Amino acid sequence: MKILIVEDEQGLREVIRESLEKEKYIVETAHDYITGLEKIGSYDYDCILIDIMLPNGSGLNLVRELKQLQKKEAVIIISAKDSVDDKVEGLDLGADDYLAKPFHLAELHARIKSAIRRKSHDGDTFVTLENIKLSPELRSVTVNGTDLTLNRKEFDLLYYFMINPNRLVNKTALAESVWGDYIDQADNLDFVYSQIKNLRKKMKDAGAEADIQAVYGMGYKLTTS
Amino acid sequence: MSSIQPSKKSVSLQYYTLRYLIVALLVIIAVWAGLFYAVILDEVYDNIDDGLKNSKILIEREAYAHPELFNTPEFGINQFKIQPLPKGTYDFSDKFTSTFEFMEYDDDDEPIRLLETVFNDPQGNPYKLTIRASMVEEDELLEDLLTALVALYIMLVISIALLNRYILRKVWKSFYELLGNLKSYKLGTGRNFTAPDSPVSEFKVLGNELEDLLKRSEAIYSSQKQFIENASHELQTPLAISLNKLELFAENNNLPDEQMMEIGKVSDTLNRLVRLNKSLLLLSKIENRQYADEDAVNFNTLITQLAEDFEDLAEFREIKINVVAQGDLSFNMNKGLALTLVTNLLKNALVHNHAGGVVNIVINQNSLSVQNTGANAPLDERKVFDRFYRSSTNEQSTGLGLSIVWSIANSYKLAVNYSFNGNHAFTITFPTKK
Repeated sequence: MKILIVEDEQGLREVIRESLEKEKYIVETAHDYITGLEKIGSYDYDCILIDIMLPNGSGLNLVRELKQLQKKEAVIIISAKDSVDDKVEGLDLGADDYLAKPFHLAELHARIKSAIRRKSHDGDTFVTLENIKLSPELRSVTVNGTDLTLNRKEFDLLYYFMINPNRLVNKTALAESVWGDYIDQADNLDFVYSQIKNLRKKMKDAGAEADIQAVYGMGYKLTTS
Repeated sequence: MSSIQPSKKSVSLQYYTLRYLIVALLVIIAVWAGLFYAVILDEVYDNIDDGLKNSKILIEREAYAHPELFNTPEFGINQFKIQPLPKGTYDFSDKFTSTFEFMEYDDDDEPIRLLETVFNDPQGNPYKLTIRASMVEEDELLEDLLTALVALYIMLVISIALLNRYILRKVWKSFYELLGNLKSYKLGTGRNFTAPDSPVSEFKVLGNELEDLLKRSEAIYSSQKQFIENASHELQTPLAISLNKLELFAENNNLPDEQMMEIGKVSDTLNRLVRLNKSLLLLSKIENRQYADEDAVNFNTLITQLAEDFEDLAEFREIKINVVAQGDLSFNMNKGLALTLVTNLLKNALVHNHAGGVVNIVINQNSLSVQNTGANAPLDERKVFDRFYRSSTNEQSTGLGLSIVWSIANSYKLAVNYSFNGNHAFTITFPTKK
C-alpha cells in the first residue's frame, strides 16, 4: 500500500511518515503544492493525505487536479483550519474524509483504513486479526467462525483496536472515536476502562487470539498472542 | 449583556423643551405684562393729566371772564369746584391724585383722577381749583389689556407647542433616524453602521463621527477576533506534532511503567491544551458567524440521543440522567451548534456533580432546562457565563463550556438564565412560535 503525504510542516510530516511506516505502508512525502502535483501526476497511490494550506497553492486544488486526472485514490484532507466551508468544499470535490489538526495517530490510521476499504471494490470488507473477523457493514464479529455478541460501544471499541493492532491507542483518541467528540472534556476517562473490561472478558471467553492490555497512563494496546 | 434603558424620569426632547418654554414664557410674559401695564398706565395718566391741565387753563380763562364762576364750591354738572382760600402764600403748582368716588350711574365707587391747584382771581385772592376726570374707561382698558395678555399667553403656548412639535419633528428627524440606526447596530455582526444624511450640520458631524468611531471599533473588534482565531489555528500544528511525537515515542520504547505514567500525564496535559484551543476556536467561529446553515432542529430527539450517549459516563460517575419532555421543542438553527449547545450544558451538569447526583433535563414547548445537583451554594450568576470563570479548580474543565453556551444562545438571540434552588438550573428560552 502506497501513501502520499502532502504537508508543509516538517515535524508533522515526519511523525506521520514514521507512524505509517510502522504499519508497513510505503510512504512518500511532498512539502508543497508543486511537489505534490508532480507526485500525483507521476505515480499512483492508495491513499493521499493533503493539507489545505500549502506553500504556493491550496490543497483543495490538488483534490481538484486528482478529480480531473480521474484518479481513484482515497483522499483525506488534514487541516488546521477546522472550517465547515473547507470541509464541505473538500468533500464535494471528491475527498473521502476530513481530519482536523491536531489528531491522534490512531485516529489517522482508522480514517486511512476505512477510506481505502471504501475505495477498494474487491468485496473483502472484513477486518481480520488472527481468529477474529469483523464486518463494519454488518456490525458483526466472529471468533473462530462463531458469532460474538457485542453491544454498540464494545463493537466500536473492538473495531478501533482491530484497525490499530499492536499499537498504543491513546485513551482520549479511543474515547473521542467511540463516544464522540463531546466526551473530550468530560472526565479522566476512567469510565472507558469498565467497557474495556467487559469486552476483554467476552473476547477471552470466546477464545480470541488477541487481548487488550492497559498501557499505564497512556491508553490501551491490542496484542496478538 | 445589558442594554441601556432610559431612566424613569427621562422624557422626550419635545416635552422636555416644552416644559421649560411654558415656564419661561410665563415669567417673560408676566414681566413684560407688568412693564407694559406700567407704561400704558403712565401713558393713560399722562393723557388724563394733559386733559386736566387743559381744562384748568380753560376754567381759569373762563373764571376771569365770568367772575360768578368763582362761586362753584361743589362739583355740580361741572367737573370742577373752586373754593376760596384764606390769604397766604400757596404753592401754585399742579397736584395730581388718583382716588375713588361714588358714581351714581353704576352705584359704585369708581376711580377718578383729581387735579388740585391754586390760582388768584383778578383781585389777587387765592382760590383752590379742583378738577376731576373719571378713569372708568381707562380702568376697563387695563382690564381688557390683562385679558388680552392672558389670551396671548395661552395662544403662544399652544402655538409654540404645535410649532415645537412640527419643527422638532422636522429638525430632529435625521437625529431620530440616527438613533434608530444606532439602536439596531451591533458590534461584530458585520453590518456596517451608516449615518443618515442630515440638513443640520451638527447632526451630520455627529453621524460622521459615530460612523468613524464604530468603524474603528469594528476594525479593532474584528482584528481581536481574528487574532484569537489565527492564534488558535497557528497552535494546532505544533500541538499536533507534540502530541503525535509523544504517541510515537510511547509506542516505540518499552519504557518502565513509571516513565510511561509521566508521558501519560504530559499527553493528558497536551490533550487539555488541544481542548482549550478547540473551544477558543469554536467561540471565535460562533462570534464570527461561521455557522450559517440552518435546519429545523428537534431538541427532543437530540436530547434523547445525547442522554443515551452520556449514559456510560453518567453511570460511571453514579449520576442519574432524567429527560422530562413536557412539550415538543424544535427551533431553526445550525445542527452542529444545537448539538454543541446541549452537549456543553449536559457536560457541565455531569462534571459539576457528585456521585449519587441527578441531572434533570426538562423540555418545554419553548424552553430547555438542565438542572443538576452539585455544590450546595449558588454560583455567581453574573460571572457564570464568563470565559475562564471557574467555581472550583476542576482540572478537567476548560472554563469555556458555559461561555460557548452563552455565545450560541446569543447568536440566535435566545435568553439563557442561571438559577439556584437547591439544584443548579440553566434554562434557555426559545421564542414562542407565531
